[in-house]
Amino acid sequence: MVLGAAAGPASPADFIAAREQMAFTLGFHIILASIGIGLPALTVLAEWRWLRTGDPSYRELARRWAKATGVLFAVGAVSGTVLSFEMGTLWPRFMDTYGQVFGAGFAMEGIAFFIEAIFIGIYLYGWDRLPPRVHLLTGIPIAVAGIASAFFVVTVNAWMNQPRGFRLDAHGRVTDVDPLAAMFNPATPVQATHLILAALMVCGFIVASVYAVPLLRGRGERYHRLGFAIPFTTAAVVAPIQVIVGDWASRFVSERQPIKFAAMEGVDHTQAGVPFRFAFLEIPNGLSLLLRFDPHATIRGLDSWPAGVRPPAEIVQTSFEIMIAIGMALLGLAVWWAYTWWRHHRHGARWSPWFLRAATLAGVAAAIAMEAGWTTTEVGRQPWIVYGVMRTVDAVNPSPGLRYGLYVVLVVYAVLGAVTIGVLRRMRRPSHQAGALKVDEKITAGGAGR
Amino acid sequence: MSYADVAVALILVGLSAYLLFGGADFGAGLWHLLARRAAEKDVIEHAMGPVWEANHVWLIFVMVMTWTAFPPVFAGIMTAYWVPLSLAALGIVIRGSAFAFMKIEHGFKIEHRRRYRWAFGVSSVVTPYALGAVAGTIAAGDRHWLSPPGAYAGLLTVGLCAYLAAVYLTWDARRLSPNAATAERFRSYALGTGAVVGALALPGSIVLGVRSPLIGLSALAGLVSLVLLWRRAYLAVRLSAALAAGSVLWGAAVLSDLDLDAAAAHDAVLRVIFVALGVGGIFLLPALAWLYVLFQREAGSHEDRARAR
Ligand code: HDD
Ligand code: HEM
Ligand code: HEM
Repeated sequence: MVLGAAAGPASPADFIAAREQMAFTLGFHIILASIGIGLPALTVLAEWRWLRTGDPSYRELARRWAKATGVLFAVGAVSGTVLSFEMGTLWPRFMDTYGQVFGAGFAMEGIAFFIEAIFIGIYLYGWDRLPPRVHLLTGIPIAVAGIASAFFVVTVNAWMNQPRGFRLDAHGRVTDVDPLAAMFNPATPVQATHLILAALMVCGFIVASVYAVPLLRGRGERYHRLGFAIPFTTAAVVAPIQVIVGDWASRFVSERQPIKFAAMEGVDHTQAGVPFRFAFLEIPNGLSLLLRFDPHATIRGLDSWPAGVRPPAEIVQTSFEIMIAIGMALLGLAVWWAYTWWRHHRHGARWSPWFLRAATLAGVAAAIAMEAGWTTTEVGRQPWIVYGVMRTVDAVNPSPGLRYGLYVVLVVYAVLGAVTIGVLRRMRRPSHQAGALKVDEKITAGGAGR
Repeated sequence: MSYADVAVALILVGLSAYLLFGGADFGAGLWHLLARRAAEKDVIEHAMGPVWEANHVWLIFVMVMTWTAFPPVFAGIMTAYWVPLSLAALGIVIRGSAFAFMKIEHGFKIEHRRRYRWAFGVSSVVTPYALGAVAGTIAAGDRHWLSPPGAYAGLLTVGLCAYLAAVYLTWDARRLSPNAATAERFRSYALGTGAVVGALALPGSIVLGVRSPLIGLSALAGLVSLVLLWRRAYLAVRLSAALAAGSVLWGAAVLSDLDLDAAAAHDAVLRVIFVALGVGGIFLLPALAWLYVLFQREAGSHEDRARAR
């Protein structure tokens, strides 16, 4: 049952397919996971406001968001399950050698999933079975466990960037395993913070953009205004913090993975006084100044490393620039929201349509920033699956035919994505609202003889 | 008992729970496809709704435990059986999302629901078949999941799931459905599949050379279950049916005789995991119990209501 010596992929096409499949399924999962992290918290917030104020708009929001959580959590959970399978079907040698080193993070994530899934069941189906306060309280473990599971899983990714907590013996087997040192590796604090904030931004902006559309069309009822304001404010508060944390991430990478940093910033040759380049823009000495607070500081360039360990620099640089551009744009939007809100309260001014138009795009933009950030991290780590220790080629499943797996996954996920969006859109229609309420009644009538 | 033994025991507990809870949800998917009457489908949807996601996490638990505690075993199985296991993973995706969509669109468009129903039903059969085939192939020491032992184990797993589901749903129908005939129909499904699965399991285990008292236990519990079903003891039969199905799994585990000690992770790793599970269990087990009790609580209330009318 034990694998033989490293054999490498069956063919280059299978190797590429395995990487693309991993990237695609992760990219799909991360959007749903972000909503799964943020939406339960928003739902509980709305339900709490309802209990406090008795305002039916809050009640309606809480009910709607709970329903959406139900659908999105299910799709998120099954797409996460695919990832767990893929860790083994695509990267068995990685798991074989290092599974025990980083496994504790996944085990703890598993416990968090359990708590999440149990309370999702209780919360979604318990509206009419539990006293209102108890029901509210059962929402809190979902939100906490969502953030905890994101933390635990990202410790694994951080470990892939900064492997710690083991030594390799003469046969290449791990010894002296210290799972906690692996979990709390140097990359964990910054990656976990950046990721959790990113998830809140993705969720907040996506949910808000759903309500920006009816507001733009002039259906500015209180329900829609609150549905916009609660998630948008959450995301807008996070946006400035995220820029600061992103700066921390950049400094961290420049110290710990200087080759990734050189790729991100497009520094080809080692030089002093490196200019800051962004798309067409160029500020002389800018990068040296930004990074080291010294306009003449030297930054190591890509060509100082052998070609065999350089990541594909254009992809890394482009995706990094996309993330920064969107991060700054969302920061601007957050400021605009603060101004809009202030004018509304001081002068009773209406929310400007231009602001709402921009807000409609914020959800998609945040999701793109999330994908771009992950592309930066993962592609920037290449050719390593475990930075400096194991190459991705040596990790892949040697079986032939992996590419057919990719084709099937692409088709199934395309359909799944389209149907999920279709279902969510139909949930917004008035005709379905009546239907949806009927379901609630049936569910309670199903079991409750009261 | 070494740390590795404890880890094996935990994995077996997880697998058993996945078969008994998650497996029954797959079986329910099969009945949902086969059942003609709306009342039966309603019972299935209402019974599964709150619990299927928690039931599903047992699989995640088993996988994570295996790759952390026995990394070479996980890697070996995943490399050798990546085709059926990928199939199972896709089945899980389609099953779970189709169920969630079907529930949310309840009372909406008929065409949508019909499509989800097929996706839900078919994937509920493919997944346990693939998982069972892999387990059977490993247990029998065979090489290919399409070999006879694989096919046999796949069918047996589907049968066990369908049987467990029918048994559990009989009680749920009595609890949830205003129509007494619904419970009677699930009872007849349970009696039928129970007989078929029993007839499939016993000769198979003899051919495969399972020599373990567990087979006797399974047969006994299976017989008791048929009697209990016949006498309409719907709660008691849940336990005996679970025992009958669980002992098939344990029999297969005995048969496989995997040498796990050599593959085990370092004690330092296992210690951290046991502590994490211990601490997690303090929250998790009461919550899980609450989930099941909460949605089974109004047991019998329909009968009361019917009697009052
Ligand atoms: C809403 C999403 C979002 C936004 C607005 C930003 N990021 Fe980000 N970024 C991510 C979402 C993200 C992420 C969640 O996708 C990543 C991937 C891995 C990680 O830990 O976070 C990431 C990674 C990531 C990395 C690589 C970390 C590594 O490889 O270890 C750097 C250097 C930055 N980010 C820097 C920034 C800066 C300077 C931003 C300010 C404008 C910024 N990010 C905004
Ligand atoms: C904790 C979470 C994660 C883990 C454990 C993880 C693990 C992996 C593994 C094992 C690979 C394959 C080996 C490789 O190519 O390096 C990979 C590749 C990749 N992952 Fe991640 N990943 C995580 C999060 C994400 C997320 C959320 C995304 C979202 C988009 C992502 C994007 C990618 C990309 C783009 C690749 C392909 C890189 C390439 O082949 O050039 N990762 N990841
Ligand atoms: C950084 C990236 C990731 C984040 C933030 C994340 C977060 C989450 C969250 C919040 C959920 C709950 C479901 C939902 O809300 O929709 C979830 C589900 C899941 N994730 Fe991820 N995840 C990530 C990457 C991964 C990876 C790399 C794996 C596996 C190797 C994985 C495996 C799973 C599994 C198995 C589930 C389902 C749990 C259940 O049945 O409830 N995730 N993830």
